[in-house]
Amino acid sequence: MIELKSVTKRFGGETAVDAISLTVNRGELCALVGTSGCGKSTTLRMINRLIEHDGGEIHIDGRPIREFDGRILRRRIGYAIQSTGLFPHWSVARNIGLVPRLLKWPAARVGERVEELMALLGLPVEQFADKYPSQLSGGQAQRVGVARALAADPDILLMDEPFGALDPITREGLQGELRDLQSRLQKTIVFVTHDMDEALALADRLVVMNAGRIVQQGRPLELLRAPADDFVASLLGGDDRGLKEAAITRVAERMQPLSLRLLPQARVHRDATLRQALAVMFREHADRLAVIDDEALPVGELSLRRIVGAGREGGSDT
Amino acid sequence: MPRRDPPINRVVLTLALVALVTWLSLPLGSIAPNRIVPGTAYTIAAAIGWPLALVSCLPLLGLLALAWRPGRLGYPLALGLTLLLLLALPAWLALMAVRHLDPELPQARLGIGAAWWLALFWLSLLLIELRSRLALAGWRLALLMLPVAVGWWVAAGWLEPLALWQELSGRRGAFLEAVVDHLLLVGGAVGSSLVVGAAIALAMRQNPRIERLGFALLNFLQTIPSLALFGLLLAPLAWLASRFEWLAGLGVSGIGWAPAFLALLGYSLLPMVRNTFVALSEVDPGVLEAARGMGMSRGQVFRQVRLPLALPVVLEGVRITTVQAIGLTAVAALIGAGGLGTFIFQGLGQAAMDLVLLGALPILAMALAADALLGALTRRLDHRTDLAAGAAP
Amino acid sequence: MSMALLTRWSAPLVWLGLLLALAVGGEWLEPLLRWSEPEARRVLYPQADLLTLLLRHVQVVAIASGLAVVIGVGAAILVTRPGGRDFLPLVAQFASMGQTFPPVAVLALAVPVLGFGTWPIIVALLLYGLLPIVRNTLAGLEGLDPAIEEAARGMGMGGGQRLWQVELPLAAPIILAGIRTSVTVNIATAALGATVGASNLGAPIIAGIVNGNTAYILQGAVLIGLLALAVDSLFSRLLPARQ
Repeated sequence: MIELKSVTKRFGGETAVDAISLTVNRGELCALVGTSGCGKSTTLRMINRLIEHDGGEIHIDGRPIREFDGRILRRRIGYAIQSTGLFPHWSVARNIGLVPRLLKWPAARVGERVEELMALLGLPVEQFADKYPSQLSGGQAQRVGVARALAADPDILLMDEPFGALDPITREGLQGELRDLQSRLQKTIVFVTHDMDEALALADRLVVMNAGRIVQQGRPLELLRAPADDFVASLLGGDDRGLKEAAITRVAERMQPLSLRLLPQARVHRDATLRQALAVMFREHADRLAVIDDEALPVGELSLRRIVGAGREGGSDT
Repeated sequence: MPRRDPPINRVVLTLALVALVTWLSLPLGSIAPNRIVPGTAYTIAAAIGWPLALVSCLPLLGLLALAWRPGRLGYPLALGLTLLLLLALPAWLALMAVRHLDPELPQARLGIGAAWWLALFWLSLLLIELRSRLALAGWRLALLMLPVAVGWWVAAGWLEPLALWQELSGRRGAFLEAVVDHLLLVGGAVGSSLVVGAAIALAMRQNPRIERLGFALLNFLQTIPSLALFGLLLAPLAWLASRFEWLAGLGVSGIGWAPAFLALLGYSLLPMVRNTFVALSEVDPGVLEAARGMGMSRGQVFRQVRLPLALPVVLEGVRITTVQAIGLTAVAALIGAGGLGTFIFQGLGQAAMDLVLLGALPILAMALAADALLGALTRRLDHRTDLAAGAAP
Repeated sequence: MSMALLTRWSAPLVWLGLLLALAVGGEWLEPLLRWSEPEARRVLYPQADLLTLLLRHVQVVAIASGLAVVIGVGAAILVTRPGGRDFLPLVAQFASMGQTFPPVAVLALAVPVLGFGTWPIIVALLLYGLLPIVRNTLAGLEGLDPAIEEAARGMGMGGGQRLWQVELPLAAPIILAGIRTSVTVNIATAALGATVGASNLGAPIIAGIVNGNTAYILQGAVLIGLLALAVDSLFSRLLPARQ
């Protein structure tokens, strides 16, 4: 568990972070969002003492981080950044094994751990272990970066726009993988991004920052439905907010049981998002969709009225 | 991450401390009864007495105090103290001459000691540090140095017994001639290497085979020691002069300016060609594409885009070449090319170190001045970066 | 394997072989040298055998360059550490000033202090050779991708670990390139030492100029050229091919 209690950071005369308080619970993924220069990266880097905080207190598992030596603290916290920061003169395997070696693990254990992590992140050992970072694609390099951050099995993972430099398809793929990893490993993750879709898709808790202060925090749906002010509303997409909400709501949550009416031709998977369902409707000129499962068998149906939320309390849409 | 200035300026502190130690412990100068006999050395305390020696240290102590607590006014004040120290440097030598030189011995002379030279050196480093702290433009610093120059000019009148001065007064004509010869050789070699180098660079851009061959040849030329290249040109030129009378009529002979000029030209070509070639090749392709896209002709692109962008890099080549040529011309004195090197080698031959200084000091000054002037010009013409300190008006 | 090793090192070996052959067996060249100086009484440089001069030349360059590497790399490392950063502009400026000092002038100025012989030329070479090393070491250490520095810190590496495991290995090619420039330039410049009484390969050149004997000059020049080529090709093998 990470607790920030009215933490402040000044650079010269400028206040970069202004008395923010924040609690990230164990196993939670907390996304810090905001415009450039709002203090989100500074906040992240104060947690592993890459930047020292000037005021307030930061506690990890109840102990103030100033009690630890900065280096020791950082070896216990995973850290992944946008430009990966992989060492170009080291092989992939050596890069991943960095922190375990700093912690003086025996060589055999380091080797085992590296192989385990490469398997976890879908990097075949025989293919990648001896490659150098310059021989990797952007997505592969970022996987290595995440593997390196996880190497010593830290409870806490700090990620600073880890997928920011990737193309949209690779980015979405890695976001999906991170969600899967998180559901298996249950790390406490603080994730900085300026990509609102990414934050909405990944976060358990969304923290919006502006000019060094926290403007609003809560579950993504809470923020989408009740933004605290115009800044949060516009950051969340202004009028597009509805579509963002649709993008994080599953079809299965809104579908109705099969009725006696004729099933429509147009169909959508039960795990798709409402946004995708809307796209199908738009494309097929349909206002009703059949909902199918993995075997392509119909399991329900979804109408436009159900999507937009009308008639949720009522039963039928006819 | 911006860094707050530490309360102590450790650079000024270190320099002032080292300067203080060398000033007090090393000999300020030496007194010799005549030209050949080595002199006896005096530290500052022995030379002008403890009370005055302590006075001479006061500005340094002031610098130490300012380095400890540089407030808002600290740096301008430190600059003032440094200039004061520089201004006073000749005065201590003059005082020493008054105290220790026997007026009965007109041959007696005053040599400058290690403490004095090192003080000059530390003060120059202090100036560099303070200049960058104050972000002082080059011409402002030059303006501030003007009183120091005037002061030294005046002080030169009191320093007649200075050995350097005596060497000079004996050969004022020869000295001027040597300076002119030196400058002519450097100017001629750099000027012609600029023309020839630009032609070669242009030819290289036309044809990659010329490029490879040219760079291989010029690189090879640079590995031959300058001394050897001067020597190797002696015989062929002597032979040519004996075969063709008009060459001899021009003053070409195995010994003298001709081999020196050719060797200097050869050495100057590599940096010149390399910089010109790089300057013309490495203009941002985006800029060139935009220029062509706007409908500029090839000639217009060259004159209005390529050339102005290439100029600073070419000038950088001129700077490197000039500094190098000033040093090499000194070596050319060995083959009778004249110039300031003559004094160096004469002095070394006669074991008269002050004569060596008479040759070496102006060469050093010329090299530093050429470097500073051409460097400033380059920065002024370079619009690609605005970072060049002191270039902005 | 041994064949591959041989081809890799063939260029420096060839230059070194030629160099030693010429230094030891200069007599074979007598007919060739005779051609350059048909009238001179002697064409082979007599004073000391060339191998001794070659070794002295190497010694002077090795001492000066060794000191320049220790001082240059050391200073550049110190001024890029947090504690020494205040001195960075001064060191950078001083190194570039050192290159401006003409070696002849430094040589001449060093004689009154150090006397005739080998030390003045070592000081001159040291000063002249410092800039490429300091400049390249600074460029190598300062030019590192900030993300790599950040990651190294973020993973919990200490200052020493970052320097030895990350910064120096990554900057090594640039530092080595600076040392290479410095050493090759110094091999040629060391010949000047002969004018202040250092006995090295400059001695035959001076003797040739004084006596008007081109053959002497050629012997000195060729040996210095071969030495420079041998050292330069050694350096080009040292620089790692991977990047």
